[in-house]
Amino acid sequence: MLKWFKQLDRILRGDATRMSLLAEGQMKTPVGGLSVAVVLLGVLYGLCMGSFTMIRTGGEAYMQLIASAVKLPMLFFLTLAVTFPSLYVFNALIGTRLSVLSAMRLLVAALGVMLAVLASLGPIVVFFALSTKSYPFMILLNVATGTIAGVLGLGFLLRTLDRLVVIQQSLESGRFEPPPQADPDKQATDAKTQPTGALDRAGKITTRRAKRVFRVWTTVFALVGAQMSWVLRPFIGSPALQFEWFRERESNFFIAVLHSFIRLFSW
Amino acid sequence: MSFVWPNTGMMLLYAENVLRARPWAVQDGQPGRKLAQLGLLVAAFGVTYGAVMGSFGGVFGERFWQVVYSAAKVPLLLLGTFALSLPSFFVVNTLFGLRSDFSHSLRALLATQAGLTIILASFAPFTVVWYASCSDYRGAILFNTLMFGCASLAAQWLLRRFYEPLIERNPRHRTLLRAWLVIYAFVGIQMAWVLRPFIGNPAAPTQFFRQDAWGNAYVRLVHILLTYLGG
Repeated sequence: MLKWFKQLDRILRGDATRMSLLAEGQMKTPVGGLSVAVVLLGVLYGLCMGSFTMIRTGGEAYMQLIASAVKLPMLFFLTLAVTFPSLYVFNALIGTRLSVLSAMRLLVAALGVMLAVLASLGPIVVFFALSTKSYPFMILLNVATGTIAGVLGLGFLLRTLDRLVVIQQSLESGRFEPPPQADPDKQATDAKTQPTGALDRAGKITTRRAKRVFRVWTTVFALVGAQMSWVLRPFIGSPALQFEWFRERESNFFIAVLHSFIRLFSW
Repeated sequence: MSFVWPNTGMMLLYAENVLRARPWAVQDGQPGRKLAQLGLLVAAFGVTYGAVMGSFGGVFGERFWQVVYSAAKVPLLLLGTFALSLPSFFVVNTLFGLRSDFSHSLRALLATQAGLTIILASFAPFTVVWYASCSDYRGAILFNTLMFGCASLAAQWLLRRFYEPLIERNPRHRTLLRAWLVIYAFVGIQMAWVLRPFIGNPAAPTQFFRQDAWGNAYVRLVHILLTYLGG
């Protein structure tokens, strides 16, 4: 198990996405072990999320705890499963040459970053779950943690895509010289010229191709993810309502948002 | 204690070093021991101020327990907030490529906490004089808030000195330090709210937690604001 988390750690540190390791313009991070780490982190944050209802109902709604722990990793992987075919096709259409495996690796790595940040905010969520009675506050808090994790995860996705595109472009024009393998003497100078962290830019500006793929990917992933989270709700679980695995399948996320807008203004 | 310091005199010497922002805390070597030393400083000086803060209603009989509770609560507030905010700080530091400096930042932050409690402990005599001269409970709350505010401001200055070498090495540390302060304040305010009462209303019975205290500081704040605005 430690091995899987070490792989995640390499991604977080940016070791797995160094330019010298992406030399063929493809991702090389392992998918299998990393996915397990992502699932475990998802379970962890799911527990933090579900703890609110359990604490508020004095342990009666312990099922919500289990349900949230199961649903949270499901949300990410189901969304990935549904969107992956189209994401791959867009990537091929627009002209980034990621192989199927490479695209999968990249997306799982981005999920890894997202869930690592999310899980690290878990203790704060539990602390507020312990001390708060307000359900809306918990929703807002979870939205905030989700936003932080999302921004950092997407930042990682964009930067890594950009690095891959930079390498692919230089391979196409035949100008690419594979960076020298880790040379202990040169490492000090390398650290200044080469991006060191996982979120550093490869060049001065982000390449257009990377930006285009990124936009399409995030839009598709966000739309499907929003609907998926709607299908899988409740995640936190209102203490006032009975426990259910899934709420009734009324309408969808976007219509619900529209309705609440209409209600807001017609009131 | 003997693992950390041979005697109390050494501890005071280290406390002095923290105040002067000497680099022993943030220098490399023996990171575990230094963290233990800094944690103990926070506990020792936090207990000192907490005990004085809890002595508002007297120190005899039942009120003695308020002194004990308050003494426990000050280190609990600081170290609890610190522990809750730490995981996310660690992950974000790693993500921004600053993992190699993390041990250093950790000690700088804990040293700042230690500095904060030392400054607070030095204010304790003021609090005693205030308690001796004024028996208004609200006044006591305001005075203690003022003391905490002053100590926090002074500790900011210390924090900047501890963080200076890090920021020089990589300016990104400045951004992350700001992020840390935001998260720390967000958690800390709620922690302080949950741990009430720190002073203890002499008219109310002595308790570790107020029965109705388990609420949310932010929700309360919004309610109060809405009541004002809504009239």
